[in-house]
Amino acid sequence: MEQSHSHDYQQGASGVGADTPRVGVYVCQCGGNISDVVNVDRVVQATARVPGVVVARQSSAMCSQAGQNLLIEDIQREKLDRIVIGACTPSLHEHTFRAAVARAGLNPYLYQHVNLREQISWCTKSDPEGATAKAIRLIAAGIGKARKLQPLASISTKAIRHVTVIGGGISGLRAARDLSRLGFAVTLLEQSPFLGGRIAHWHGLYPTETAARDLLATLIQEVEKDPNITVVTRAEVIETSGCQGNFQLQVAAIPRGVNRLSAEESRAAIKACPVQVPSEFDFGLTERKAIYLPYEGCSPAIPAIDWKACTRCGQCVAAVGGKGISLEDAEERLTIATGAIVLATGFDLYQPYEGEFGYGQHREVITLAQLERLLDPQGPTGGSLEWQGRPVRNLCLIHCVGSRQIEGVHRPGPNGKVNTHCSRVCCTATLRAAVEIRRRFPEVNVFDLHQDIRTYGRGHEEYYREASRLGVIFIRYAGEEPPVVSASEADSSPLVIRVKDLLTFGEELEIPADLVVLATGMIPRDIERLIEQLKIARSEDGFLQEVHPKLRPVEMAVGGVFLAGTCQAPMDVMESCTGASSAAAKAASLLAHGTIELEPFRAQVDPNLCQGHGKCVEACRYQQAIRLVEVEQNGRKAMRAEVNSALCNGCGMCVPVCPTGAIQVAGWRLDQFEAMVDAIVAEHT
Amino acid sequence: MSQKLDPQFHKELDAFGCHDFTQCMNCGHCTAVCGLSENKVAFPRKIIRYVQLGLKDKLLKSPEPWLCYYCGDCSQTCPRQANPGETMMSVRRWLTTQYDWTGLARKFYLSPLWEVTALALVAAFVVALFLLFHGPIVTDRVELNTFAPVVWVEFGDWVLAVGLGSLLLINAIRMASFILSIERVRKIPLTLWLSELRTLVIHFFTQKRWRDCPAPTRWWKHVLLVSGYLTMMLLVIGMLRWFQTNGSHWRVIDLLGYYATGVLLFFTGEAILGRLRRRDEIHKYSHLSDWTFLILLFVTSLTGILVHVFRLAGLAMPTYVTYVVHLAVAVPMLVVEVPFGKWSHLAYRPLALYLLAIRSRLEEAEAAVSLTDVPQPSPA
Repeated sequence: MEQSHSHDYQQGASGVGADTPRVGVYVCQCGGNISDVVNVDRVVQATARVPGVVVARQSSAMCSQAGQNLLIEDIQREKLDRIVIGACTPSLHEHTFRAAVARAGLNPYLYQHVNLREQISWCTKSDPEGATAKAIRLIAAGIGKARKLQPLASISTKAIRHVTVIGGGISGLRAARDLSRLGFAVTLLEQSPFLGGRIAHWHGLYPTETAARDLLATLIQEVEKDPNITVVTRAEVIETSGCQGNFQLQVAAIPRGVNRLSAEESRAAIKACPVQVPSEFDFGLTERKAIYLPYEGCSPAIPAIDWKACTRCGQCVAAVGGKGISLEDAEERLTIATGAIVLATGFDLYQPYEGEFGYGQHREVITLAQLERLLDPQGPTGGSLEWQGRPVRNLCLIHCVGSRQIEGVHRPGPNGKVNTHCSRVCCTATLRAAVEIRRRFPEVNVFDLHQDIRTYGRGHEEYYREASRLGVIFIRYAGEEPPVVSASEADSSPLVIRVKDLLTFGEELEIPADLVVLATGMIPRDIERLIEQLKIARSEDGFLQEVHPKLRPVEMAVGGVFLAGTCQAPMDVMESCTGASSAAAKAASLLAHGTIELEPFRAQVDPNLCQGHGKCVEACRYQQAIRLVEVEQNGRKAMRAEVNSALCNGCGMCVPVCPTGAIQVAGWRLDQFEAMVDAIVAEHT
Repeated sequence: MSQKLDPQFHKELDAFGCHDFTQCMNCGHCTAVCGLSENKVAFPRKIIRYVQLGLKDKLLKSPEPWLCYYCGDCSQTCPRQANPGETMMSVRRWLTTQYDWTGLARKFYLSPLWEVTALALVAAFVVALFLLFHGPIVTDRVELNTFAPVVWVEFGDWVLAVGLGSLLLINAIRMASFILSIERVRKIPLTLWLSELRTLVIHFFTQKRWRDCPAPTRWWKHVLLVSGYLTMMLLVIGMLRWFQTNGSHWRVIDLLGYYATGVLLFFTGEAILGRLRRRDEIHKYSHLSDWTFLILLFVTSLTGILVHVFRLAGLAMPTYVTYVVHLAVAVPMLVVEVPFGKWSHLAYRPLALYLLAIRSRLEEAEAAVSLTDVPQPSPA
């Protein structure tokens, strides 16, 4: 790992170390934001008396040019070597003041920020006296800590201009293309043999009604033609090491079994295969061969062999005269050195359990995904709406299957939890299907059973309006009392749904149904191996968790890992693409300069105290940030903890577990905390 | 008991006027703004919901459509332009055809051909009666009672009144059995029927609930129209032998006739103009049944006053001819409209309030009974 201390801020200079620190205290009025509540005069008077304080001043706006100049002049004239500023939140101006301190020739980490606005004046408006006392204590604590501050240097690490995108669905394709256009080399890893992911199943996408496979074809063509992008299908990441800027990925790639075949040869090979298995592409509505192409126009347009289903009978090989097909399925290993990772691993569709709304018990109960295949003009029925050979007259759509579940009402999933999250896209997708059915098959009665209609996006509500206009009958059930699907005794329709309708004053309704369609939600995908390797976090609902939903929406807490699309949360194609593009932009800005600057607040090991217990290694949440290394000490070999500053996030989990107190986080050392606590409990006049 | 849906019902109601109710998202705005909707009898949302689902039994049991006077506030404030006001109107039309057991009402409401043919046949029958049985035609002076002897006309009046009244009564009984349920109707004691009779009479003459609608002028206009109509009915049925006279002299009783005719002409004329202009919510949507009712009433009044004018002017032949025309319009109007058409709302509106009063008395009694049914803790 290449690291260097890039900035040298007069370390050891400016009286740091030997002499008593000379502290400068500045209290910002923030144009009345602080001074309207806090008596700034008294704060300045009180803090001026704290030991070590050489200068104590106030300013109407410390962040202004005048305020910063005042600071710089004081540092130089009064030979200040510790600065404390009481102002707004550090997320707004900590960097501003650090830069000013650095301009004055002082190490920028000899600066301590105190938040007087968000933490005092804004939230303590009714008690100016208390607010002033609190401000004095917090600034005193800041002074206490500042006196113990040591100069630090930011960390710089090398950044490889290469990004690995995991997942070849719409998000992964979009991220790969965007990164390539920004000038980065990209490796796109796809688990299945074909690109395109989920959206290839749908023939129409809301709200534009674009044909999904046309959209995909354009994007895949751009990706495949792009010399900067390497696509690896049937790939799985099996080992990850390194850190942001320089990851090493071990990738296992399973061969597709087919190298090069003409379209005609492909057809012959597929025809020759004697194995039939349910087609994933049609959600089990049709069957495919062990050597297969999922759909007409898929990409790559080369068949793949399903090794689990293949019996190695060799009939396909014989059908093409022995060329182009190899039944050798040994996986290949690739090593990829990459600067950043974009996760675009997608979602899984909720699979209803047997008996959930009659699923698996009645053949007439299907999922929305299966209905989409039935409606597809290129689908298994050629787009005609018939089921089990009979035309559908009454079709019933049930929303929120596997989403917005209620504990105690719904059966928990394999993880022991119910899915309380809303899958967001199913409402509009369901209504889109309802509209399409009423338009194409006006003789079909469509019933829509929902808890709420959440058509939240631009152009979504129009589907609800159109469905209403076209006479779709809406029925609202309570989450606690879901509809009950059972066999009908009447001849007209095989199923009957009984539901208490909240829109009809809780009246129980009987709805005849030839086809019941469950709008199954999105659930987090099983990517446990990846999560384990990258040590990344899931949120409560099991989807991958960003650092902050608003401020850092596509970044993971682990540096250099970004989120694109539905691995993060249920979202539609438009949102997935937005997420993918911003993940690409974030990855690009991380790697753009060839080096990555990191804050110096990382764990540090005191080699004199460390006894090599290894507790810190166990407590560490980040892959390989701390490890035990063998060192020679006084002629004897011993194990000692070593921190990789690029991987460490400075979280401090290692500090309390160390039995000898050998590990500390720079800039947040325990003696600094003690000084703060002492100052807070001390008397201030 | 669970309700069976009829998703095709909306097509049926389409034919009765309104088709916007599919846009309803059941927000209940209409019920909130309605000045007449109450907690126990809330509308229009409930009725629109029944229509959406095709719950015909529920609709038949509902007196609510007859409690709406179509001020149009709900339609104007509906956030989805689902037109609740016109939906209620369409349901009233549909209910009229359901109360009628002959099936003729349905034909007249849905088919202009049936309606016009029926009117024409009755008119032809009236004309034929006069052609065959009219008295001597005196031309040197007006002798209306010679041309059409008052006793015979009076007899015809009563035949018509009893016949149409009976048909309407059967419809009313059917309406009662829907709204109260047949089992209940059988069990209701006579005293209860009688004790609430006041409600029926008061609302028949005053339509006073309409005053709670936000357009008060429509209420007094309607009360005047009804007073004119009832006055005229009284004159031509109960008092015909004094009302229909010979000669060109003028009498005090004619004052009543003027009042009735004036009011009828003015307000039916105003309604026709309103429907042509389509400015007020109540007049925006006109069904065939609205036009025939208004036009026939207007022409009846017009020909009635013409008979009077010709008689006073001493014009014998015009008096006789206009008289025949007058009856050839009035009689078909009554035959087609009273039991089978829009006229019947005169009966159904007060009847709905009457039945509602009885129903709430019954429910009070049932609640009281169920309370006494609770087993008392026995002293152990």
